[in-house]
Amino acid sequence: MLKLLALVGFTLSLSQFSFSAEKLVLTGSSTVAPLLGEIAKRFEKSHNDVRVDVQTGGSSRGIADTRQGVADIGMVSRALKPSEKDLTAFTVAMDGIGMIVHSSNPIEKLTQEQILNIYKGKVKSWKNVGGPDKSVTVVNKAEGRSTLELFLKHFQLKPYEIKASVIIGDNEQGIKTVAGNPNAIGYVSIGAAEFSISQGVNIKLLPLNGIVSSTENVRNGRFPLSRPLNLVAKGEVSGLKKQFIEFAKSSEVSDLVRDQYFVSVEQ
Amino acid sequence: MGDKLFSILVHLSVLVIALVFFAIVGDVAIKGFTAIQWDFIFTEPSRSGREGGVGPILVSTFLLLGICLSIVISLGLGTAIYLNEFTFHKSKFSKIIELSLDILAGVPSIVFGLFGNVLFCKILGLGFSILSGGLTLACMALPLFIRTAQSSLRGIPSEYRSGSKALGFSKATTLIKVTLPVAIPGIIAGLILSIGRAMAETAALIFTSGYVDRMPSSLLDSGRALSVHIYDLSMNISGGDLNAYRSAFLLIIGLLFINFSASTIIKKTLRVEN
Repeated sequence: MLKLLALVGFTLSLSQFSFSAEKLVLTGSSTVAPLLGEIAKRFEKSHNDVRVDVQTGGSSRGIADTRQGVADIGMVSRALKPSEKDLTAFTVAMDGIGMIVHSSNPIEKLTQEQILNIYKGKVKSWKNVGGPDKSVTVVNKAEGRSTLELFLKHFQLKPYEIKASVIIGDNEQGIKTVAGNPNAIGYVSIGAAEFSISQGVNIKLLPLNGIVSSTENVRNGRFPLSRPLNLVAKGEVSGLKKQFIEFAKSSEVSDLVRDQYFVSVEQ
Repeated sequence: MGDKLFSILVHLSVLVIALVFFAIVGDVAIKGFTAIQWDFIFTEPSRSGREGGVGPILVSTFLLLGICLSIVISLGLGTAIYLNEFTFHKSKFSKIIELSLDILAGVPSIVFGLFGNVLFCKILGLGFSILSGGLTLACMALPLFIRTAQSSLRGIPSEYRSGSKALGFSKATTLIKVTLPVAIPGIIAGLILSIGRAMAETAALIFTSGYVDRMPSSLLDSGRALSVHIYDLSMNISGGDLNAYRSAFLLIIGLLFINFSASTIIKKTLRVEN
């Protein structure tokens, strides 16, 4: 019992400790969160009495939390929709989405039509698109993920049209799912896929519309399926919020952007 | 013939379970232990956890566990004692409580996460904080703990209580000197299950204690739990696998250590009080 009281006392005394630093809260896209976490740390170093807390949970959450005021800044890994024009977006980096298959898969390219048919469940075997006689494992992203929304938009698909075998959440999970299944096809962030390939993970990137899936082609704007990684804020942006957003867009953090395998947008 | 077959089947199932256990622990131990250094336990993570250690994350994890356990033990033990010693266990009221506990014990953890996010983070205004996370964990672990503690109290023969009453002991004395000491093994088991559930939790913590991997300076700071860190490194961070294995190895060591020390501490304090 004494120990219990001591523990309660300890916790209470700890909560007295919170110092009154100015605090910024960011929530949203799990793709963007690790990058912003690092940017936040660098920002804190040059701004002593500021704390920047970065939370995760997906782009939709970033939008909702920013609207409700739970978060000061949201992280959204796509362009804003017309219905979201109450928020202002600031692009901090670019990312491309590429189709990946297992490295043992002999397929070197798929047409737009073929990818569409695979995801609609009309093509069930790799044989029908020039591969071996193995059934296709379709890996799709979960609802609320902006990678899914971009994929749907690019291929002009409706969510219910997709016949998925596996539903995944984060990027790395997609890479691991495809690397572990020779018959799988999926779509993930190109930067993350390039890094995994360089580390010997068993996946390969397929070109899209004849254009090689590479961060280089995302940078020069030739790649058709790319997205901005945005910070979003409600109303007029001023003070600390403005300082942080400008810092995140500046060349001071472009090494951090490259370190997360994204494409930096030089100002 | 039938006996032999049965014995083979029983041995086979033990073997399968043991194999699964050793495969998991072995995989984590080999991949995690090979490259682990003392630094890893004390330093801050860098490059989103690909490099550096887990110092702040360990601190957050222990704080979360501390809050969770202090509430689970006090409220949980109280409820279990009430249900078993202070009310007739077939009464309607205790039936309702027991039913709701059983339902709560089966609720997926993400539901607790969303509930905790709404109640503690938003309505009570605690925000993304270790306090919110610990309270959410407590809500999750309470049903499990209460039910195990209660069933171990119920297993005590009523003669013990009658005998104590016959000697003129008060209800409180009976509880402290007779019933609780006998029930202790079951209560420890419940506690260890609760610790396991709390330490392994990811879904309920991402939306309550949050994702910040900085050293917490108060319980109102957001802090990343070890399990959340492992999940993020393996599922979201390309190139985070090695540190994910190291963290998982630490988590297993931590669980073993806490289980062991929890049971010894409780056993010792009880002997002293006796």
